[in-house]
Amino acid sequence: MWKSRSSFALYPVSIVLGLLAWEAVAAFVPKGLLAPPSAVLGRLATMTADGSLPRALAGSVQHMIVGYLLAVAAAIPIGILIGRNAPVATAVEPVLNAIYAIPPVALVPFFIIWFGMYFEGRVALVFAMCFFEILINVLQGARNVDRGLVDAARSLEASGLALWRLVVIPAALPFIFTGLRVGIGRAVNAMITAELFFVAVNLGQMLKTRSNAFDTASAFAIILFISLFGLACQEGMRLIERRAIPWHRGSET
Amino acid sequence: MSRTRAWTLRLAGIATFLLLWEILGRILGEALFAPVSAVVAGFPATVRGYKLFAELAGSFRQLVLGYFLGCAVGVIVGTAMGRSRLLDGLLQPWVSMMFVTSVASLVPLFIITFGFGLAFRVAIVFIATVWYVLLVTYHGARDVNPELMQTARSFAASRVQTFTMVLLPALYPYILAGMRIGLAHAIRAMVIAEMYVIVGFGGVIYNSGVEISTVSLLGALATIMVVGVVLTEALKWLGRRTAPWYDERQQLSN
Repeated sequence: MWKSRSSFALYPVSIVLGLLAWEAVAAFVPKGLLAPPSAVLGRLATMTADGSLPRALAGSVQHMIVGYLLAVAAAIPIGILIGRNAPVATAVEPVLNAIYAIPPVALVPFFIIWFGMYFEGRVALVFAMCFFEILINVLQGARNVDRGLVDAARSLEASGLALWRLVVIPAALPFIFTGLRVGIGRAVNAMITAELFFVAVNLGQMLKTRSNAFDTASAFAIILFISLFGLACQEGMRLIERRAIPWHRGSET
Repeated sequence: MSRTRAWTLRLAGIATFLLLWEILGRILGEALFAPVSAVVAGFPATVRGYKLFAELAGSFRQLVLGYFLGCAVGVIVGTAMGRSRLLDGLLQPWVSMMFVTSVASLVPLFIITFGFGLAFRVAIVFIATVWYVLLVTYHGARDVNPELMQTARSFAASRVQTFTMVLLPALYPYILAGMRIGLAHAIRAMVIAEMYVIVGFGGVIYNSGVEISTVSLLGALATIMVVGVVLTEALKWLGRRTAPWYDERQQLSN
């Protein structure tokens, strides 16, 4: 997401200063409203050590992974097919924009009607939150394949399949990977959203219970845990991206 | 592709979508997925029964507050981070962290801090908007032509003058692009917050969702969809109108 290298050295300073500032602010805020970082990190450590956070995460990732993989499997082929066909791309654009404008959480009542309050419903929400994000990136990639490359391949009499395998797919890969990376971030987001808006389970249940008990330190710790997991997922995807398409360096943003 | 052909294709796309909705709706029935004809016919009743537009207006007053607050802070902090290495390094880890944090996960915590009222909904919309505006402005501020900054310096422009007379105009297209992306997230956040505590327009969606028929639910969803599309297009139009170089920059910042 961020490009600068020179400011890396400041990161430890930044984290320490930030924690100190947070601690100072928390000392002035009425008790319980804002947990100080010392308490939050303490709760994070205990809840990780006693296994309650990892156990809850193990339950949470199930609907996340299923929903994400379904979204990937649907969005990549659909995105490439639409993107390679200019008239179709123009025709579906307003409809896609319109559907994209609907907040995914607003679809929860539908998912409850169609898939129920439990696992299937959560998978549907993860799917809905990831699908369009990945689709839009893949579509853009397929659209932006250099015409010169395609023409050159055609003039060398590359057949349909070879054209796809050797030109279109490699050229669209950076966009596909961007879609996968943005998508995994959305998937982590959707994972916890689903657990708060369907029947509360796993991490969502923990977060709700701790919040209802006004235990802000634990609630903060759970949110921090989820955010760290989200960062880890995105960084993991970035690593895979660097390995898979080492020729592409412009995909950092 | 000519303009007429493009518009014919778009209209054909919309017509096909509506037709598919109608057919699917007829097959599945109102309880599962109401056809578009039933949603249109039932829309006046939905508006009356749920005070749809009044709730929408009320929700938007809070949205506007949080949204513009988020835009203002995002632009200022984003510009500062883009122009200062020190601030960039000091704020980056926290901004990156907040950027990945799910807005929904903050809802239970924000309720403790802000209660269920105005402050809570404004805070959620603010937090959903600010990081997107900040990020896009930041990238814009880093790319500002150095010659412009040097010219300002050689004319002894003060910091405030440099900000208002050089940086802001140069960043304008980026800010508009950031505001457009931020808007989508602001609307999402508003619905998340309101569905969680069942108030305002999000409350309408929640309550219409537990009805036997999906006519009202689809009417509410179509309403929020139209509002989102219209506002997004309005921001795009504003960008093209006031900054002709906007289209090009917009693609860069996506």
